Amino acid sequence: MTDSAQPIDDQLLAERLRSGDREALGALYDRYASVAMAVAVRVVSDRELAEDLVHDAYVAVWQKIDRFDPSRGSLRSWLLTIVRNRAIDRLRGTRPSIEVGEADEQSLLRTGPNPTWEATVERRSAAELQDALAQLPAEQREAVELAYFGGRTYREIAVITGVPQGTANGRLRLALAKLRDSLSLTDAAPLSMQPGHATERADQ
Amino acid sequence: MTLRFDHNDVDELAAALALGAVDADEARAAREHLETCAEPHAELRSLLGADAVLAAWLEPVEPSAGLRDRLMRSISDAPQAPRPVTPAPADGEEPRRGWLDWLSPRVARPLAVAGVAAAVALGAWGVSLSGQLDERDRALQQVAEAVAEGGIAYRVEGGGGRGYVVDTEGAGSTFVVADVGALDANQLYELWLIGADGVPVDVGTFRPGADAVAVIPVEQDLAGFTTFAVTIESQRVDAPTLPIVMAGELAS
Repeated sequence: MTDSAQPIDDQLLAERLRSGDREALGALYDRYASVAMAVAVRVVSDRELAEDLVHDAYVAVWQKIDRFDPSRGSLRSWLLTIVRNRAIDRLRGTRPSIEVGEADEQSLLRTGPNPTWEATVERRSAAELQDALAQLPAEQREAVELAYFGGRTYREIAVITGVPQGTANGRLRLALAKLRDSLSLTDAAPLSMQPGHATERADQ
Repeated sequence: MTLRFDHNDVDELAAALALGAVDADEARAAREHLETCAEPHAELRSLLGADAVLAAWLEPVEPSAGLRDRLMRSISDAPQAPRPVTPAPADGEEPRRGWLDWLSPRVARPLAVAGVAAAVALGAWGVSLSGQLDERDRALQQVAEAVAEGGIAYRVEGGGGRGYVVDTEGAGSTFVVADVGALDANQLYELWLIGADGVPVDVGTFRPGADAVAVIPVEQDLAGFTTFAVTIESQRVDAPTLPIVMAGELAS
């Protein structure tokens, strides 16, 4: 994957896309196609199908860029939301969701996302983020995986994992809260530089 | 029975909502609560956007070498969707409001009823079910029957007339309207469906009869649209001319 030598800001890319600049979509592809593929492959477990989904998601971004609202998330998040939702739809059929507006164009509530999450992605390496996720207890990680990559509701997660619905919901809540707290604790520095980080991980 | 959420319900499901891990009724109930709730819902806000991190959970997967070229070929033939309609005001003219802004004082909540709406529809136009029905009256009867069997009627009204869009699942929908304002010889009414994105989709055109009544089949599926609107045009057009003369909200 070739990222441009001088990274192009997503907002600028969005403006270029709005103006009909096809090369901007190429730049967006170069920047995020491997992440989009990772999400699609993880959901559908079929590389060829995943490529079709990623292709279609990028075409949707091109065609519907005027519906992208930067106040409700980054271009990266919008793209990955489209990829994920289409992959889950393909996997399971129509998926209940909390989406606003068109089914696969926006999954965030009108309250808007917490920008800390995206800022964290910008600042951290993939390894650091994976470290944070790896700290989650197995049952919480499983619940999040079923929700995010499997498109399962907390009620379905309860059935799949054999626990009460309240427990499944609680696991999702604990997992996200733990991620939020651990990442915000490390806002000022990478995880590996946080005092006590190694100890904290060892305690899990 | 319609599910309703209060503040605590939304907070309780904050993580599931942030991940989209709720069923459709819960999603709708949460959305409706948040639209009217003045509370900050700090827990939910703090969790929204977590999916940005979850995607980073995965190792990148390189696409095949040909996918980029395929994509670029695809978009060379793919037009971008039109921008939402926001007509520029003429010089000296008060700025016009956006499409959805026109609706707020006029929109009535959908009249989701069975027998009541059927009676209203039939009463409004005085259809005699036992008499000789002309084509329009047969269409009205079908509408009334559809409503009686569980179809949904959405109120549509404005300066141009008043009526309903009747949606019968799996059998299309029909716009029935009375008191339709007269038009000049070179004018017609044009029907539009508008989604949450504000982009109007042309549905069709009509001219009212001498009795100011019209029954118009709507072939377009209403799913995904939030608003039904009518404008006056000199010919069928791709983008509407404001103002909207009739409008209704398509929501349950």
